Amino acid sequence: MAAVPPSTGFFALGSMVFSPAVLASVASVTDERLTAYISPAVVLVLCVVAGIGTIMLLPGKREIAFRRIGGALLGVAGLLFPAMIYRPGGGHLDAAGVYFWIFSAIAIVAAVRVVTHPRPVYSALYFVLTVFASAGLFILMYAEFMAAALVIIYAGAILITYVFVIMLASSASVPEGKPAAAVLGEYDAVSREPFIACCVGFALMGVLLFVIFDRAHDLRPPSPEPTVDLSNPETIQGTAQSVGNYLFTNQMVSLEVAGVILTIAMVGAIVIARRRVMIGAEDAFEPSAEMSPILTPQDDSPASVPVYGTRNPRQKGHPET
Amino acid sequence: MTTIELQHFLAVGAIMFAIGMIGFVTRRNLIVMFLCTELMFQGVAISLIAFSRYNHDMAGQAFVIFVLVIAAAEAALALGLIVLLFRTKNTLDADAWREMKG
Repeated sequence: MAAVPPSTGFFALGSMVFSPAVLASVASVTDERLTAYISPAVVLVLCVVAGIGTIMLLPGKREIAFRRIGGALLGVAGLLFPAMIYRPGGGHLDAAGVYFWIFSAIAIVAAVRVVTHPRPVYSALYFVLTVFASAGLFILMYAEFMAAALVIIYAGAILITYVFVIMLASSASVPEGKPAAAVLGEYDAVSREPFIACCVGFALMGVLLFVIFDRAHDLRPPSPEPTVDLSNPETIQGTAQSVGNYLFTNQMVSLEVAGVILTIAMVGAIVIARRRVMIGAEDAFEPSAEMSPILTPQDDSPASVPVYGTRNPRQKGHPET
Repeated sequence: MTTIELQHFLAVGAIMFAIGMIGFVTRRNLIVMFLCTELMFQGVAISLIAFSRYNHDMAGQAFVIFVLVIAAAEAALALGLIVLLFRTKNTLDADAWREMKG
């Protein structure tokens, strides 16, 4: 399928942005395979539009409406791109395809929100959403063990640590209706060099997408699934078994090294983050006048406490009531 | 054959990697910067699993396990460092550490 009609408007925009020479040189590259999928010029224009949208969407000292326009631009670019690479699958609705589009849309939108949300707690929560959507993509690729590991390790362990640190080191909550920049620290509310960063980032994205779709037809199609004999439970292998077999036969040393790395990281984190207690001259422990001196074991013995009113040292001088 | 092929998954991974990189450069909060590195890890993991699936080779999934190990170690160390830095200067601004000795 050639470039679909919605891209024509963006071709017009692209011809305004880029000189005709650049466009001509780009257009001359197109061959059969490329036009069969997606033209690199379209990828370039979409990346430029998305970059402009991201620059406007990144936190800064600007109006909310300005950021909304940026979000809309980014959304338009993000909707056009799947519209170009979408190829209907022979009339019937493909279940895997539907789930792929849903999960990848959630993952990418949440990733954009991680980057553009001014408040760190919300960034962390959107990252949890990204993790769950990626786990869905993993399951779509029949990697159910990795999906479970991703959810447990990322959403369960790493993100909890992040949220703890954010709570430990964040300022007061933002009242409703006030702009976030008024309460948040300046380092949260204003981003650093959004223009250059978006240029570099979307250039990288454009190159990656171009290469991926340029070489799309060289990639091997999925080889047929290995047939599984369901009547014999011994032969059924999930990915957990397969990954375990691979790890313990081919990657034994790497696995041990990974364990050592985790141990070292744990020890290192404790050593780095512990609170140092200084026992210097100014902090030296001085007993105050009200405090009784520390009892020696001799003093602590009940038999050695002086007793008044009786001569028997084992008898209490005062009744305890 | 399904309409979803290898390059679709690779595209998702590439987009997430680029978004994470933009975030790492633009955000100034130390915690969010490290969240963005986790985003980049996610993009790489999706690509690895996709290759593993389409070549029927377990090496990709095994590599994702190592990526997760490194991500966990990095998160532990980075968050420890962030706590230490926050105690010293009482801010999470990466620019507060502009001048460093050594």
